[in-house]
Amino acid sequence: MAGLLLSPTEKVFIVHGVQEDYRSDGRSNIDYRPMELETDVVSHASGSARLRLANTDILVGVKTEIDVPSPENPDLGKIEFFVDCSANATPEFEGRGGEQLAIGISNLMQRAYHSSQAFNLKQLCIFESKQCWKLYVDILILECGGNLCDAVSLAVKAALFNTRIPFVKAALMDGGNVDLQLSDDPYDSKLLDVGSAPLQVTLCKIGDKCVVDPSAEEESCSVISVIVGITGNSSCFSEDNSSPDTGGKFTTIDMNGPGSVAPKTLKDAINQGRVAAKLLDKSLGEALLRERQESVKLKKYSYGFLK
Amino acid sequence: MPLDYRRFNGPEDSVSYKRFTKDYLKSYDELYKELLDDNGVRKDGRALSEARSMCMFFARTDMVSQAKGSAYVELRKTKVVCSVFDPREIPHQNEFSQLGQIFCEVKFAPFSCPRRRRPHAPDAEEKALSVALRKALEPTVCRHLFPNYQVDVFIYILEHDGACLSAAINAAGLALADAAVPMYDIVTACSVAIVGDRLFVDPTEAEEHVATISPETNSNHGVITMSMLSELKQISDFTLIGSMDTECVNTAMDILEKECETLVPQIQKILVTNVVKSFEQRQRLEEEANDREQALNIKMEEWRKLLNAG
Repeated sequence: MAGLLLSPTEKVFIVHGVQEDYRSDGRSNIDYRPMELETDVVSHASGSARLRLANTDILVGVKTEIDVPSPENPDLGKIEFFVDCSANATPEFEGRGGEQLAIGISNLMQRAYHSSQAFNLKQLCIFESKQCWKLYVDILILECGGNLCDAVSLAVKAALFNTRIPFVKAALMDGGNVDLQLSDDPYDSKLLDVGSAPLQVTLCKIGDKCVVDPSAEEESCSVISVIVGITGNSSCFSEDNSSPDTGGKFTTIDMNGPGSVAPKTLKDAINQGRVAAKLLDKSLGEALLRERQESVKLKKYSYGFLK
Repeated sequence: MPLDYRRFNGPEDSVSYKRFTKDYLKSYDELYKELLDDNGVRKDGRALSEARSMCMFFARTDMVSQAKGSAYVELRKTKVVCSVFDPREIPHQNEFSQLGQIFCEVKFAPFSCPRRRRPHAPDAEEKALSVALRKALEPTVCRHLFPNYQVDVFIYILEHDGACLSAAINAAGLALADAAVPMYDIVTACSVAIVGDRLFVDPTEAEEHVATISPETNSNHGVITMSMLSELKQISDFTLIGSMDTECVNTAMDILEKECETLVPQIQKILVTNVVKSFEQRQRLEEEANDREQALNIKMEEWRKLLNAG
């Protein structure tokens, strides 16, 4: 991380703290830092969210466009992720500096959303093998304070939850071409089913133990981190709590950093990640549902960026 | 994707003729059924848990004479060439880096894949494979021995029939050893494809394809690739794509760990034969040199005698 210099003694202090399950900011090894989340912040996007996790600031906007489905999967829509590392975050990202990191994160997101058990692309189908919705998920990293992957996955899920897709009024076959008529009314739209969308949890190996949600200082003490993507529980994201518990499956596991881990440590880490992801998913669902209710009652007060 | 205007870029919307064949229209269930025959044997005659490491594995070094070290790995129809070049100073870098770096590039031959033609420009999959390869190799190379230098590792996939990342890692490990780059351990890799409750060890392309399609039901599916330093019992890279539960990941990990270990003796054998061969060659060269010297000495003696007599 840019501009971060830690002396060996400071590193030892952090490592010892983790060993005792007591980190330098007072958290235990499986605690997240407080987060701020707000949806519907960008007026021109179909769905948007802004997440602030300590010093990490992420803005996600979802744009919907109409595309032709790929011949291999005529009944599926498309979703694409783009990450932009703004030079505001750190001077290192200036020019093409953040490119590698951006490609890494967008690849990881693409892989996490690959399975239909994570995100069902069938709901984006308009007319089989003719037309489908394409979601462009644009992720903007405004500030970089460690733990980017987790923050990005949370913000993306919130933005998708907030995304509205217009209803298709009529689809006329005109000489083999589809003619769509969409409603002008912005409220005449459907919401996406994103309950099972995956969350990513980064487990940073410090000493012998793994910590969740590492700060930038802690990240610099570790040579390897394991990133797990876990599918969400749909029942947490709908008002009726009747649907059964689902999710908790791994959609992606990846290792980041120059080090290596023992098989047992990896197994422990992915289990720890699964527990953390479940808790995170539950609280994200609660927060998003609460905000949706507020916006229905027109009580929502927009905070925007200047708070 | 920026276009390369120096090449003739074919029409972008051309499609493989295979789209119009019967094979293409097969449903998921049909594809799945085709992978195994009635006795539970795979199409190429392997059992489910049998890797191609035993009889269908072929590897050698010294493929590319220009490179410092090179290797060729063949897992039946998956064919991979790897070349490793001397350390050189890291280009376009201002800061001094304490550790040496490994630069990896994975490239598919345009004709390597059965489903579509590969473009010349590197696509997202190739970039992802390059990153995975670098992550797999980084923990095994003693990078502190060449600070501020980088070693280039180039992988060219000639034919792709599944498990190309693990073949690439195996080839790169062999080529690095061949190039005498100092390493902590031999790196080996293996992959497994998961379809429902079946685990296809060392999958072919068809098996990988079925495993990446999401089934209608909520069953497990996906592909896992793992690379290991077997002697040190360390996992250097782990890549999972798909959707599966914890139990499935754990069983797959155990299987992959075992498979990675079985590959080690084969790699060792190739490296040892190399050493023996080069040793023999040196001996032979020395003997030949001795012979020549003796012949020269004899001639010298004859001339000297002639001179003295004259």
